[in-house]
Amino acid sequence: MSSIDAAIANAKENSFVLLQIGHRRVALPAAQVVELAPPVRLHTFPHATSLLAGVIVRRGRVVPVVDTEPVLGGKSPLSHRFYLIANRRVGNESELGAIPVNGECELASGEMQPPGMDRPAYVAGTISVGDDSIDVLNLDVFSTANSAAANEMHKAEARQ
Amino acid sequence: MTIAIKPASNPRRGRHKETVVLFIVANQMFAVAADSVHEIRSTDSIAGAANEIDNPELPKVRHTLDRSGRTYYVVNAGMHFGLPVSRPALVLILRQFRAALLVDRIDRMAEIPGVYPLPLAFTGDERRWYRGLAYLDDSVIPVIEPKGLLTPQDFQRLDRAHREAQRRESEAAVQA
Repeated sequence: MSSIDAAIANAKENSFVLLQIGHRRVALPAAQVVELAPPVRLHTFPHATSLLAGVIVRRGRVVPVVDTEPVLGGKSPLSHRFYLIANRRVGNESELGAIPVNGECELASGEMQPPGMDRPAYVAGTISVGDDSIDVLNLDVFSTANSAAANEMHKAEARQ
Repeated sequence: MTIAIKPASNPRRGRHKETVVLFIVANQMFAVAADSVHEIRSTDSIAGAANEIDNPELPKVRHTLDRSGRTYYVVNAGMHFGLPVSRPALVLILRQFRAALLVDRIDRMAEIPGVYPLPLAFTGDERRWYRGLAYLDDSVIPVIEPKGLLTPQDFQRLDRAHREAQRRESEAAVQA
């Protein structure tokens, strides 16, 4: 178990995993995070769901990989190929999802503040770390996003 | 080329071993349950049994195939899955379903340990296209759902277009 995995296992409420996606530093609630997976092979096949890059196989399970690049921008995080695996809600059910990250993760504590009215749907709130205000991602939105929602997220991002 | 495939004596579903035909379309590998394929023919060998069908609403179906007194609709797999244009050379004639699938080539037959359900995160047409995913030789391969190739509405539309084509053909024959 890596140090970040150990930290995640001991995470309490108000604990967040900070990650770098593209040029963005974002956070995920630590309770949602399952593990930081090594750079395993990304398998792709034809599909029609926006914001999904493909799947990885981890511990005998097929885990869908969220393509955050169209929404969060920056250099393709798919090139980094570490995967942060987290629980996501899809409809009324829950399943694992992976986000490509560059492998640099740290644990932070703080109280999540509600997002501003102008924040896009994928921002569940913000936490303060030092002088920075960091967006906490709502992964569930990525799982239900269709093209229209993705476009809406693009526009919201462009307005900022 | 003709490869006749015997139906499995005991069709299996879910996470059980099953035999699949692995085929390639535009460099993408797919699997289809062997027991849902009646036969595999080269496009050259069936040219005489194929007829064009004019149906602009369904561009992925441009031919019908008459086999054993039944009319099969030939679905271009590349167009169905939204893949780049390729050169299909084989037709997979399906069993218990009036559809055939145009594919580039067959890779091999294989036994897969089971079919993983498609993750819920996939919410698009792929839920209709695939029965699930197979993990074979360190690769994840979509296992196609034959019934997802054409909807009942597609069949109705194609049947209408086919009847119309037959009517035109017989009128032309009478005039000749």
